[in-house]
Amino acid sequence: MTITHHPPEALLAGFATGALDEAERLVVGVHISACPRCSRFVQAIEQLAGKSLEEAPPTAMSAGALDLVMSGIHGPRPAGTVRLEAGRATLGGQDLPELLRSCRFGKRRLVAPGISMQPITLSGSAGSRAFLLQSAPGTRMLEHTHTGTELTCVLKGSFSHDGGYYGPGDFDYGDNEVDHRPVVGAEEPCLCLVAMTGNLRMNGLLGRLIGPFVRL
Amino acid sequence: MIAAIRAERVPFRRRVDTPRTDGSRLAVGASRKPSTKVEWADLIGRVASRRDQEAFKALFEHFAPRIKGLMLKLGCNADEAEEIAQGALIAIWRKADQFDPASTGAAAWIFTIARNLRIDSLRRTARAGRLGTDAELADSPDPAEPADILISRVENAVRVKAAIERLSAEQSKVIQLSFIEEQPHPEIASQLGIPLGTVKSRIRLAMNRLRELLDES
Repeated sequence: MTITHHPPEALLAGFATGALDEAERLVVGVHISACPRCSRFVQAIEQLAGKSLEEAPPTAMSAGALDLVMSGIHGPRPAGTVRLEAGRATLGGQDLPELLRSCRFGKRRLVAPGISMQPITLSGSAGSRAFLLQSAPGTRMLEHTHTGTELTCVLKGSFSHDGGYYGPGDFDYGDNEVDHRPVVGAEEPCLCLVAMTGNLRMNGLLGRLIGPFVRL
Repeated sequence: MIAAIRAERVPFRRRVDTPRTDGSRLAVGASRKPSTKVEWADLIGRVASRRDQEAFKALFEHFAPRIKGLMLKLGCNADEAEEIAQGALIAIWRKADQFDPASTGAAAWIFTIARNLRIDSLRRTARAGRLGTDAELADSPDPAEPADILISRVENAVRVKAAIERLSAEQSKVIQLSFIEEQPHPEIASQLGIPLGTVKSRIRLAMNRLRELLDES
């Protein structure tokens, strides 16, 4: 897997510091797990965050905090995180990255000819939504811009737009200044993981006509 | 390439700031570092191997107030910051045997513990705002932790350490201020004593330099 498109550094740093919302963290995390270069970057930010912690202004803990902590360490351990059994991710039974295998998926549905989406159920109500998007080979997406941001990580297949060619592991960042028209590679269907804030805005007459029906 | 260009446009994420009190900076000294250099990694090792409560108390004294301070800086309110700091210390006690000094620094490891608690805390807040769907989501797994595990830390550690050491003090400071402490540009300008107009290019240069060092080392 040759990855040529990486997330902007601000997103990688946000991943390292916990500033991303759940959907964004998922997409960036999937890229990082496939990209040694970005995982090194995240680790570097964590080391620098350690410095920030060392240099942070110490703020007095509440009275009795130490006692609470000391009784906490001797108390019962909390139940571990519940791990869901693997294989819950469907979408045609395709292999999904490890990070996605424990996700909960909603119902897959067609959103436009040749394009289906399957939402991922997240626990928070925060800004962005995550979903898998599968497009048939050769699908030409409508020219669109975004009212918010769109983070995409290619899982399988490929697409191309003004920004270049995007294959497995590649990360695409779109915001309201990007006006692009992706074309899915002809070889095989393209499966992407997407986090999106705001809505897609279809450009052109056709887009305006069908826009209201294409709800992602 | 594209990412590098687009990165310029990524808006800085800013949570609603709690009002900053001018006194916050004067609090330094409330918990001063011991004069001899303490090896925090050794203390964590003593907690792991001997369940050493004295070592643990020293970790508490040093790190709990700093975790609280950093969380306040990142926009947590006082209660959340206190809770995260206490929770982080309890997690240090429980996970001490998972700390590997070959793969990370003590402070960075403690930071990631606090960070994961912050993520959980944000998620709980969000979930509480969605009454009625709680039961359905009760067993949602935590995406923060698996993502951590997927990073092959030990392999990267040497390269990462070398890169950080070669980054200039000014460059690591500017990355810390902008990307970790999420300070607004005017604040960064005043802390570094540079004109506001050059903050953006300093940040960009520092980020490019870090990428470069990580790629080559």
